Amino acid sequence: MTDEELISFLEDLPLRRLHVLARGRVHRHFRMGKQRLIDVFLKLPPQIRSALEEDLRSTTIPIKASPPEAQQPRSQKKSSRQLQTPSRHPGKSSGEPSTTVADLLEGLGVPPSTTFVPDPWQVDAVSQLATTDVIVSAPTGSGKTYVAVEAMKQAMAKDSTVIYTSPLKALSNTKYMEFSHLFGHEQVGILTGDRRDNAQAPLLIMTTEILRNLLYDAASGEIDLRLNTLGLVILDESQFLADPERGVVWEETIIFCPTQARLLLLSASIGNPQELADWLTSIRPIPCHLIHHRRRSVPLRGAYLHPAGKLSPLFKSRDITQGAGYAFHPETKRLFSKYELETFGPRGGR
Amino acid sequence: MAPAIHPVELVEILRHKNLTPAIIFLTSRRACDEALDAFQRSSVRLPQNRCETIATFLKDLADDYPSIVDHPLIPVVQRFGVAAHHAGHLPSWKIAVEELMRKGHLDAVFATTTLAAGVDFPARTVVITQSSVRKAKDFSDLTIGEIQQLAGRGGRRGKDLVGFVIVTPSPYIDLHVLAKGLTGFPEAIESQFVISYPMVLNLLKAHPVDHIEGILAKSFAQFQLNQRAEVHQSHLDSVHEHLKPFGPRECTDWITQWQVYDLARRRKSQRRPLPYRDTPALAAQLPFLTSGRVVGISKGRGIVLRQYRSRGQRYPMVSVLRSNGTVAECPAMLVTHIYDRLLEFTSTRSYPWCTPGTLEWLNQEMTQLPPRLPSLPILVDKEIQEDTQLTDVLTDEFPCPTCPSRNACRKDHSTALKLRQKSQQLTKTVQALRTGLWHRFQEKADILQHFGYLTPSSHLTAEGEWGRLIRIDHSLLITELIRMEAFAGSEPSLLAGVLASIAHDDDRPGSFLRMSPGLSSMLNQVRAVADSLASYEDPPLLRSDVAALAERWIGNPELKWENLVRMTNMAEGDVYRLLARTLEFLSQIQSLRETHPELADSAKMGITLIRREVLEELP
Ligand SMILES: Nc1ncnc2c1ncn2[C@@H]1O[C@H](COP(=O)(O)OP(=O)(O)OP(=O)(O)O)[C@@H](O)[C@H]1O
Ligand SMILES: [Mg+2]
Repeated sequence: MTDEELISFLEDLPLRRLHVLARGRVHRHFRMGKQRLIDVFLKLPPQIRSALEEDLRSTTIPIKASPPEAQQPRSQKKSSRQLQTPSRHPGKSSGEPSTTVADLLEGLGVPPSTTFVPDPWQVDAVSQLATTDVIVSAPTGSGKTYVAVEAMKQAMAKDSTVIYTSPLKALSNTKYMEFSHLFGHEQVGILTGDRRDNAQAPLLIMTTEILRNLLYDAASGEIDLRLNTLGLVILDESQFLADPERGVVWEETIIFCPTQARLLLLSASIGNPQELADWLTSIRPIPCHLIHHRRRSVPLRGAYLHPAGKLSPLFKSRDITQGAGYAFHPETKRLFSKYELETFGPRGGR
Repeated sequence: MAPAIHPVELVEILRHKNLTPAIIFLTSRRACDEALDAFQRSSVRLPQNRCETIATFLKDLADDYPSIVDHPLIPVVQRFGVAAHHAGHLPSWKIAVEELMRKGHLDAVFATTTLAAGVDFPARTVVITQSSVRKAKDFSDLTIGEIQQLAGRGGRRGKDLVGFVIVTPSPYIDLHVLAKGLTGFPEAIESQFVISYPMVLNLLKAHPVDHIEGILAKSFAQFQLNQRAEVHQSHLDSVHEHLKPFGPRECTDWITQWQVYDLARRRKSQRRPLPYRDTPALAAQLPFLTSGRVVGISKGRGIVLRQYRSRGQRYPMVSVLRSNGTVAECPAMLVTHIYDRLLEFTSTRSYPWCTPGTLEWLNQEMTQLPPRLPSLPILVDKEIQEDTQLTDVLTDEFPCPTCPSRNACRKDHSTALKLRQKSQQLTKTVQALRTGLWHRFQEKADILQHFGYLTPSSHLTAEGEWGRLIRIDHSLLITELIRMEAFAGSEPSLLAGVLASIAHDDDRPGSFLRMSPGLSSMLNQVRAVADSLASYEDPPLLRSDVAALAERWIGNPELKWENLVRMTNMAEGDVYRLLARTLEFLSQIQSLRETHPELADSAKMGITLIRREVLEELP
C-alpha cells in the first residue's frame, strides 16, 4: 500500500476505528486527533506498518448495501447492521462526479400553492382502516396526521369514540389545539396526568399512560362508557415502543385495546414495521396492514459548514437517500480533517 | 480558531444563503442560552417591521398564556428573530416559540436534541453540531432513528421545495455516525417489556391466574422471544436430525448406557495409579519387612536392608543383602519366607543403606545362620476392602463388553453424546425463551404475596385492591408508606413534599432549600422505608431540596411563581415539571378515596393548592 492509499483509507475511517488500529502500535494514541494519528501511522516501522495494513484490509472490505425492502429476521440482525455500514464504493455515486455548492443550493424556495391532494399512501391507509388495523411508517413531515384526521372523521361519523395518544404532554397539547380547531372545542377532550378537560368528548387526546390506566380499570369491571363505544385508537410516535422506561406502556395498551376498536400506529422511525404488523396480526382479531412509505415528500440535502464559514456538500451526491451507503464530498473531507487538525492540534492532546 | 462556529455568524450565513428558518440543535441548554447571549452582544438587528410582527404576535398569545407577558427573552426574540427551545423553559414559552416558528416569524431556534422527537415544528434547515447525547450519565452516540427525527424536521411540506441538513463540527463530533444516521435505516424496535408491581396487581384483578400466561404471551416481548425461540428450535430440529442414526440399539438408551460404562471403566483404570492397595497377604507381611529381617527369597536367603516404594510403582520393594554379598532390589511379594530372626543395625539414608562396617558384619552373620530357621506365622486379614473392587465388579456387570453393538457404540459415542448435550441445551434455551416472562411475573407475584397484597392463591387482598390503583414509579414504596400510615394526618404540603422527592428523578445538582422539621423527619422515615425495600424496588433519589420546593409552593398560597423560582437554581421548566409530576402522583393518591378518605382529601387539597398561576395556565 502506498502512502497515498493508506491516507485515503484512513481518512475514511471514523476516529474510533483509528484508535482501535493504533492500540498497541502507537504510544498514547488516545490523545491524538485524526490527522496526527494518520501522520504517526505513516511513520511506523515497515513491519508494524504492514501488520496495520493487514488489519485495515480485513476490516474495510466493501459491502453491498442492503435493499430497502429487506426485512431482516432477528437472527441475522448483526449481518443486517453490517450491510448498512458505509461502503467505500456505494454503487450510485462511485462513478459520478461529486455535486457542487451551486448545485446544492439550486432550486430552493417556496413551492407554488396547490390544492390539497392526498398522496396515494395516505388514501390507502385511510381506506385500509375500514377493515384492518393499520401501521403507517412514513418519514417525518410526510403527512401522517392527515391519515389520523381522516380516520377520526370516519369513526366520529359512526358515533364512535376516538382516542388519540402521544408520548409527550407537549405534543398532546399541540394536537389538542390542532384538533379543537379542526373539529370544534366541544368535540375534543384532553386527559393527561395533570390535566383533564371535556373528558366526555367523542375525540379524546391522552398520554399513553392514561389510556393504559383506563384500559386496566375497564378490565377490572369499572365500566367506562367511552370504551364501549370506542371505535379507533391512534398511537402517534409509536416508536416509543422501544423506550426503555415507557415502552411497556405501549405494549400494554395494544394488548388490552378493545377488540372492536381499530388500531392506528404512526411513526417515522421504526426499523421493523412489518414485524410490528405481524405481531398485531397475531394477537388481534383482525389483521394489521402495513403502509410503508419511504420517500420524503420534500427532498433533503446534506451540507457541511466549516466553522470558518465555508459551505460544502456533505456527500458526493446532493440528495440524502436511504440505504445507498454514503461517500463524503472530497471538499468536506478536506475541511473536516483541517478542522480536526486545528482543533486537536498536530500534537494531539484534546 | 474556535472549535465551533459562532452562533451569530451561523445564522448570518443561513440568512445569506436563504436557508432560514432553521432549527439549530446544540448539545446543552446552556449552549442554547449562550447562543442567545451572543446575539445580545451583536449588532445585527431584524428590520423594524419584523420586530413589530413578532411583538404583536406575542402580545396576542399572552391572552392565552399570561406567563409569557414579561418573559425576559422577549426582547432578544423581537430584536434578532431567534429563540431558544429547551426543557428549562416553561411550557407556555415553548408553545410561544413553536407558534412563532410555525408562523415563520423566526429565523432560527436553538434547541436541545432531547426535545427533537415529537416536537412539532419544522423548518427549512436543520443544523446538527453533535453526534452524541447525554443519556443517563454517559454520552452515547445518537441512534439512526434519533438522527432521522432531527434531520426530518428539515424541509416543510408545502413551504419548501427542498430541505437541508447542515452539519457543522464541534469537538467530539463523529461525521460517520451522522452520515450513517442520515443514510441508514432506523434501528429495529426491540421490546422493552418489564413486569411491574401495578401490572401484576391489575392483571390479577381482572383475570384468573391461569389466564395470565396467555395474556403475557400476547406481548411484543413474547412475540420477539418466540422468534428467537424458533431460531433455536430449528437448530434443535437439525440436531435431532443428526441424532437419528444414533437411535436405539441393543439397548434403547445406549448413549447413557455407554456413558456410564465408559465412566466406570475409566474410573477403574484411573484407580490404579492412585494410592496402591496391596493384597491382604502382602499387606500383612509388610510390617515385618524392616531392616535387619532375615528373609527367604527365590535365590536363597537374605537380610532386608530397607523397604521402599518408588513413586509410580505398584508394589512395595525391599533392598536385600544376599548371601553372596550383593545387594538386590526385590519386590516385596517375591519374599517367600519371613524368618524369626532380626539383626538389628542402624540404617543409613543412602546405598548400601548401612555403614560399610555394618555391611561386613551382616555378611558375616549371614554365613553363620543355621540352615533351618523358624518362619514367622503371618496373620492375613481376610476381609477384602470392597471400595477398590466395586468399579471392577460394576464394569463386569455391564452388558456392554459382550454386546454385539459394542464396537459401534464405542465409535459413535462421543459424537452422539455431543449432539445430545447440544439438544438438551437448546431445549432448555427454547423453554426459557418461551416461559421466561411468566416466571418473571411469578417472581413479582411472590414478592407481592410476601408483602400481603396477594393471597397465596394469587387473589388480591384488601391491600391489593387499593394498591393496584397506584400506577406510578415507586408504587411499592408509596403503597407501603400508606400502609404504615406514614402520611396520617399530615398537611397537604408535607404529602406533596414527600411525593415530589419520590417523583423527581433528575440528579442535576440543586439548591439547598430548607425543609420544615416535620417534612424533614418524614423524609427520613421515607428514606428508611425505601432502603428496606431496596431489594424489591430501586429507591428514588429523595432529594430534600425538591421536597422543600414543593412544600413551599403548596404550603404558602401567597407565594408567587417568580419568587419560588428564585429560591432554587433549578430552571423554571424543571420546577414546573417537578410540580406537574407531583400533581400526577397526588391525583393517584386521590383515587384512594374509598379506602383512605382522609389521605385522599389531603391529596385533593394539595392538587387545588398546586394549581395556580403558571400551573393553572394551560397546558
Ligand atoms: N398530501 C399532501 N399534500 C400536501 N401537503 C401535505 C399532504 N399531506 C400532509 N401535508 C402537509 O405536510 C405537513 C406535515 O404533516 P404531518 O405533521 O402530518 O407530518 P408527520 O408525518 O406527522 O410527521 P412527524 O413524523 O414529524 O410527526 C403538514 O403541514 C401537512 O399539511
Ligand atoms: Mg406526526
